[in-house]
Amino acid sequence: MLPLGLLNAAQGHPMLVELKNGETLNGHLVLCDTWMNLTLREVVQTSPEGDRFVRLPEVYVKGNNIKYLRVPDEIIDLVKEQQSQQGGYRGGRGGQGRGDHGGRGGDRGRGGRGRGGGRGGRGRGS
Amino acid sequence: MPPVLGRPPPPSQQLPAQMFTTAAQLLDLTDKKLMVALRDGRKLLGILRSWDQFANLVLQSTKERIFVPPGTTPNQPRGLYADIDRGLFLVRGENVLLLGEIDLDKDDEPPPGYDLADVELVQNLAKQRKQNDKTKEKTKVKLLAKEGFEGENLGEILL
Repeated sequence: MLPLGLLNAAQGHPMLVELKNGETLNGHLVLCDTWMNLTLREVVQTSPEGDRFVRLPEVYVKGNNIKYLRVPDEIIDLVKEQQSQQGGYRGGRGGQGRGDHGGRGGDRGRGGRGRGGGRGGRGRGS
Repeated sequence: MPPVLGRPPPPSQQLPAQMFTTAAQLLDLTDKKLMVALRDGRKLLGILRSWDQFANLVLQSTKERIFVPPGTTPNQPRGLYADIDRGLFLVRGENVLLLGEIDLDKDDEPPPGYDLADVELVQNLAKQRKQNDKTKEKTKVKLLAKEGFEGENLGEILL
Protein backbone atom coordinates (compact mmCIF):
# COMPACT_ATOMS: atom_id res chain seq x y z
CA MET A 1 0.00 0.00 0.00
CA LEU A 2 1.42 3.37 -1.00
CA PRO A 3 1.75 6.33 1.39
CA LEU A 4 -1.07 8.19 -0.32
CA GLY A 5 -3.26 5.10 0.10
CA LEU A 6 -2.72 5.37 3.81
CA LEU A 7 -3.67 9.03 3.69
CA ASN A 8 -6.87 8.13 1.86
CA ALA A 9 -7.68 5.54 4.50
CA ALA A 10 -7.14 8.17 7.18
CA GLN A 11 -10.03 10.31 5.91
CA GLY A 12 -12.37 11.21 8.74
CA HIS A 13 -9.69 10.57 11.35
CA PRO A 14 -7.78 13.04 13.50
CA MET A 15 -4.20 13.81 12.51
CA LEU A 16 -1.33 16.19 13.03
CA VAL A 17 0.14 17.96 10.03
CA GLU A 18 3.44 19.78 10.30
CA LEU A 19 4.17 22.31 7.58
CA LYS A 20 7.58 23.16 6.24
CA ASN A 21 7.56 26.46 8.14
CA GLY A 22 7.19 24.53 11.41
CA GLU A 23 3.53 25.34 12.03
CA THR A 24 1.40 22.38 13.07
CA LEU A 25 -2.25 21.75 12.34
CA ASN A 26 -4.31 19.39 14.49
CA GLY A 27 -7.63 18.37 13.01
CA HIS A 28 -9.82 15.79 11.32
CA LEU A 29 -8.99 14.98 7.72
CA VAL A 30 -11.94 15.59 5.43
CA LEU A 31 -10.46 15.17 1.96
CA CYS A 32 -7.12 14.61 0.28
CA ASP A 33 -5.91 14.19 -3.28
CA THR A 34 -2.94 12.77 -5.15
CA TRP A 35 -0.95 16.00 -4.61
CA MET A 36 -1.35 15.60 -0.85
CA ASN A 37 -3.58 18.70 -0.78
CA LEU A 38 -5.76 18.40 2.30
CA THR A 39 -8.89 19.81 3.84
CA LEU A 40 -9.17 19.58 7.60
CA ARG A 41 -12.03 20.38 10.00
CA GLU A 42 -11.93 21.62 13.59
CA VAL A 43 -8.29 22.63 13.42
CA VAL A 44 -5.94 23.95 16.05
CA GLN A 45 -3.06 25.76 14.40
CA THR A 46 0.15 26.04 16.43
CA SER A 47 3.00 28.46 15.73
CA PRO A 48 6.49 27.06 14.99
CA GLU A 49 7.63 27.95 18.52
CA GLY A 50 4.61 26.19 19.96
CA ASP A 51 3.53 29.24 21.91
CA ARG A 52 0.53 30.52 19.96
CA PHE A 53 -2.66 28.61 19.14
CA VAL A 54 -5.49 29.44 16.77
CA ARG A 55 -8.74 27.53 16.35
CA LEU A 56 -10.04 27.29 12.81
CA PRO A 57 -13.26 25.61 11.68
CA GLU A 58 -11.88 24.52 8.32
CA VAL A 59 -8.45 24.57 6.67
CA TYR A 60 -7.19 23.86 3.17
CA VAL A 61 -3.50 22.88 2.95
CA LYS A 62 -1.70 22.85 -0.35
CA GLY A 63 0.29 19.63 -0.39
CA ASN A 64 3.67 21.15 -1.20
CA ASN A 65 3.75 22.94 2.17
CA ILE A 66 3.63 19.73 4.16
CA LYS A 67 6.66 18.39 6.03
CA TYR A 68 5.02 15.32 7.54
CA LEU A 69 1.76 13.93 8.87
CA ARG A 70 1.26 11.99 12.08
CA VAL A 71 -1.70 9.67 11.91
CA PRO A 72 -3.24 7.38 14.56
CA ASP A 73 -1.69 3.90 14.74
CA GLU A 74 -5.06 2.26 14.04
CA ILE A 75 -5.03 3.51 10.47
CA ILE A 76 -2.59 0.84 9.43
CA ASP A 77 -5.01 -1.88 10.57
CA LEU A 78 -7.78 -0.04 8.77
CA VAL A 79 -5.83 -0.09 5.54
CA LYS A 80 -5.22 -3.80 5.91
CA GLU A 81 -8.96 -4.38 6.29
CA GLN A 82 -9.83 -2.23 3.31
CA GLN A 83 -7.27 -4.06 1.26
CA SER A 84 -8.58 -7.51 2.08
CA GLN A 85 -12.16 -6.35 1.42
CA GLN A 86 -11.38 -5.09 -2.07
CA GLY A 87 -9.18 -8.19 -2.30
CA GLY A 88 -8.65 -9.43 -5.84
CA TYR A 89 -8.54 -6.12 -7.67
CA ARG A 90 -6.10 -4.41 -5.35
CA GLY A 91 -3.97 -7.49 -5.22
CA GLY A 92 -3.66 -7.47 -8.97
CA ARG A 93 -2.36 -3.96 -8.86
CA GLY A 94 0.55 -5.04 -6.76
CA GLY A 95 -0.95 -5.61 -3.33
CA GLN A 96 1.50 -4.60 -0.66
CA GLY A 97 3.02 -1.87 -2.75
CA ARG A 98 6.29 -3.63 -2.49
CA GLY A 99 5.06 -6.23 -4.89
CA ASP A 100 4.33 -3.42 -7.26
CA HIS A 101 7.87 -2.12 -7.27
CA GLY A 102 9.38 -5.54 -7.10
CA GLY A 103 7.65 -6.37 -10.35
CA ARG A 104 9.10 -3.34 -12.01
CA GLY A 105 12.55 -4.16 -10.75
CA GLY A 106 12.37 -7.65 -12.14
CA ASP A 107 11.39 -6.27 -15.50
CA ARG A 108 14.37 -3.97 -15.57
CA GLY A 109 16.74 -6.72 -14.64
CA ARG A 110 15.53 -8.81 -17.51
CA GLY A 111 15.85 -5.95 -19.94
CA GLY A 112 19.37 -5.32 -18.78
CA ARG A 113 20.51 -8.81 -19.42
CA GLY A 114 20.15 -8.24 -23.11
CA ARG A 115 18.11 -9.41 -25.99
CA GLY A 116 17.00 -12.58 -24.25
CA GLY A 117 13.46 -13.72 -23.62
CA GLY A 118 11.87 -10.82 -21.78
CA ARG A 119 11.90 -8.38 -24.65
CA GLY A 120 9.87 -10.72 -26.78
CA GLY A 121 6.80 -9.53 -24.93
CA ARG A 122 7.20 -6.03 -26.24
CA GLY A 123 7.57 -7.17 -29.80
CA ARG A 124 4.33 -9.03 -29.62
CA GLY A 125 2.64 -5.97 -28.17
CA SER A 126 3.52 -3.57 -30.93
CA MET B 1 33.82 -17.60 -34.20
CA PRO B 2 37.39 -16.96 -32.93
CA PRO B 3 37.92 -13.59 -31.26
CA VAL B 4 39.02 -10.83 -33.65
CA LEU B 5 42.70 -9.86 -33.11
CA GLY B 6 42.69 -12.15 -30.09
CA ARG B 7 41.04 -9.51 -27.94
CA PRO B 8 38.94 -10.88 -25.10
CA PRO B 9 35.32 -9.70 -24.94
CA PRO B 10 34.92 -6.51 -22.85
CA PRO B 11 34.05 -7.12 -19.21
CA SER B 12 30.35 -6.88 -18.42
CA GLN B 13 29.29 -3.34 -17.52
CA GLN B 14 26.09 -4.60 -15.92
CA LEU B 15 25.11 -3.78 -12.39
CA PRO B 16 23.57 -6.62 -10.42
CA ALA B 17 19.88 -6.91 -11.29
CA GLN B 18 18.81 -5.81 -7.80
CA MET B 19 21.06 -2.77 -7.61
CA PHE B 20 19.15 0.47 -8.07
CA THR B 21 20.39 3.96 -7.64
CA THR B 22 17.09 5.84 -7.33
CA ALA B 23 13.92 5.60 -5.30
CA ALA B 24 13.87 1.86 -5.96
CA GLN B 25 16.77 1.48 -3.55
CA LEU B 26 14.12 1.78 -0.88
CA LEU B 27 12.94 -1.67 -1.92
CA ASP B 28 15.73 -3.25 0.09
CA LEU B 29 14.92 -1.11 3.12
CA THR B 30 11.21 -1.93 3.31
CA ASP B 31 10.17 -3.43 6.66
CA LYS B 32 13.57 -2.56 8.11
CA LYS B 33 14.28 -0.20 10.99
CA LEU B 34 15.64 3.06 9.64
CA MET B 35 17.02 6.35 10.80
CA VAL B 36 15.59 9.19 8.75
CA ALA B 37 17.12 12.65 8.97
CA LEU B 38 14.79 15.45 7.92
CA ARG B 39 15.90 18.71 6.39
CA ASP B 40 14.93 20.58 9.55
CA GLY B 41 17.48 18.55 11.53
CA ARG B 42 15.11 16.09 13.13
CA LYS B 43 16.08 12.43 13.40
CA LEU B 44 13.33 9.84 13.19
CA LEU B 45 13.81 6.15 13.97
CA GLY B 46 11.10 3.83 12.70
CA ILE B 47 10.16 0.85 10.58
CA LEU B 48 9.71 1.64 6.89
CA ARG B 49 6.39 0.16 5.82
CA SER B 50 5.71 1.88 2.52
CA TRP B 51 7.09 4.43 0.07
CA ASP B 52 6.52 5.79 -3.42
CA GLN B 53 8.41 7.39 -6.28
CA PHE B 54 8.72 10.70 -4.41
CA ALA B 55 10.30 8.96 -1.43
CA ASN B 56 7.22 9.75 0.62
CA LEU B 57 7.69 7.37 3.54
CA VAL B 58 5.39 5.58 5.96
CA LEU B 59 7.19 4.91 9.23
CA GLN B 60 5.68 2.76 11.97
CA SER B 61 6.50 2.87 15.70
CA THR B 62 8.52 5.99 15.08
CA LYS B 63 10.69 7.56 17.75
CA GLU B 64 12.17 11.01 17.49
CA ARG B 65 15.71 11.10 18.87
CA ILE B 66 17.07 14.42 20.07
CA PHE B 67 20.76 14.96 20.64
CA VAL B 68 22.74 17.45 22.65
CA PRO B 69 26.40 17.39 21.63
CA PRO B 70 29.13 17.43 24.28
CA GLY B 71 30.13 20.88 25.48
CA THR B 72 26.66 22.36 25.16
CA THR B 73 26.69 23.08 28.88
CA PRO B 74 29.97 23.80 30.67
CA ASN B 75 31.53 20.65 32.19
CA GLN B 76 29.74 18.24 29.91
CA PRO B 77 32.30 15.93 28.31
CA ARG B 78 29.73 13.53 26.83
CA GLY B 79 26.74 14.11 24.63
CA LEU B 80 23.18 13.41 25.69
CA TYR B 81 20.23 11.98 23.82
CA ALA B 82 16.60 11.09 24.43
CA ASP B 83 13.85 9.29 22.52
CA ILE B 84 10.23 10.42 22.21
CA ASP B 85 7.53 8.05 20.93
CA ARG B 86 5.77 9.51 17.90
CA GLY B 87 3.83 6.58 16.43
CA LEU B 88 2.81 6.40 12.78
CA PHE B 89 4.42 8.89 10.41
CA LEU B 90 3.88 9.84 6.81
CA VAL B 91 6.89 11.92 5.75
CA ARG B 92 6.67 13.93 2.55
CA GLY B 93 9.67 12.92 0.42
CA GLU B 94 10.97 16.45 -0.23
CA ASN B 95 11.82 16.84 3.44
CA VAL B 96 14.02 13.78 3.70
CA LEU B 97 17.71 14.58 3.93
CA LEU B 98 19.03 11.04 4.26
CA LEU B 99 18.03 7.66 5.58
CA GLY B 100 19.77 4.44 6.45
CA GLU B 101 19.18 1.05 7.96
CA ILE B 102 19.89 0.58 11.65
CA ASP B 103 22.15 -2.28 12.71
CA LEU B 104 19.85 -4.09 15.15
CA ASP B 105 22.85 -5.62 16.93
CA LYS B 106 24.05 -2.18 17.91
CA ASP B 107 20.61 -0.66 18.37
CA ASP B 108 20.45 -1.48 22.09
CA GLU B 109 23.65 0.39 22.88
CA PRO B 110 23.70 4.16 23.07
CA PRO B 111 25.48 5.94 20.22
CA PRO B 112 29.22 6.26 20.95
CA GLY B 113 30.01 9.31 23.04
CA TYR B 114 26.38 9.82 23.99
CA ASP B 115 24.36 8.86 27.10
CA LEU B 116 20.63 8.41 27.48
CA ALA B 117 19.16 11.23 29.54
CA ASP B 118 15.82 12.54 30.71
CA VAL B 119 13.60 13.65 27.84
CA GLU B 120 12.72 17.03 29.30
CA LEU B 121 16.31 17.84 30.16
CA VAL B 122 17.50 17.03 26.65
CA GLN B 123 14.59 18.91 25.10
CA ASN B 124 15.38 22.01 27.11
CA LEU B 125 19.10 21.86 26.32
CA ALA B 126 18.37 21.34 22.63
CA LYS B 127 16.04 24.33 22.66
CA GLN B 128 18.65 26.50 24.33
CA ARG B 129 21.25 25.42 21.82
CA LYS B 130 18.96 26.20 18.92
CA GLN B 131 18.27 29.64 20.36
CA ASN B 132 22.01 30.26 20.78
CA ASP B 133 22.74 29.18 17.22
CA LYS B 134 20.03 31.48 15.97
CA THR B 135 21.44 34.55 17.70
CA LYS B 136 24.96 33.65 16.55
CA GLU B 137 23.74 33.33 12.98
CA LYS B 138 21.97 36.66 13.24
CA THR B 139 25.08 38.51 14.38
CA LYS B 140 27.07 36.81 11.64
CA VAL B 141 24.62 37.89 8.98
CA LYS B 142 24.66 41.43 10.40
CA LEU B 143 28.47 41.59 10.32
CA LEU B 144 28.53 40.25 6.77
CA ALA B 145 25.91 42.78 5.74
CA LYS B 146 28.12 45.57 7.08
CA GLU B 147 30.90 44.37 4.76
CA GLY B 148 28.48 44.40 1.86
CA PHE B 149 27.72 40.68 1.74
CA GLU B 150 24.26 39.37 1.56
CA GLY B 151 23.58 36.42 3.88
CA GLU B 152 22.96 33.18 2.08
CA ASN B 153 21.06 31.33 4.75
CA LEU B 154 18.56 33.83 6.01
CA GLY B 155 16.06 31.02 6.45
CA GLU B 156 16.36 28.04 8.76
CA ILE B 157 19.84 26.75 9.40
CA LEU B 158 20.41 23.11 8.55
CA LEU B 159 21.63 21.13 11.53
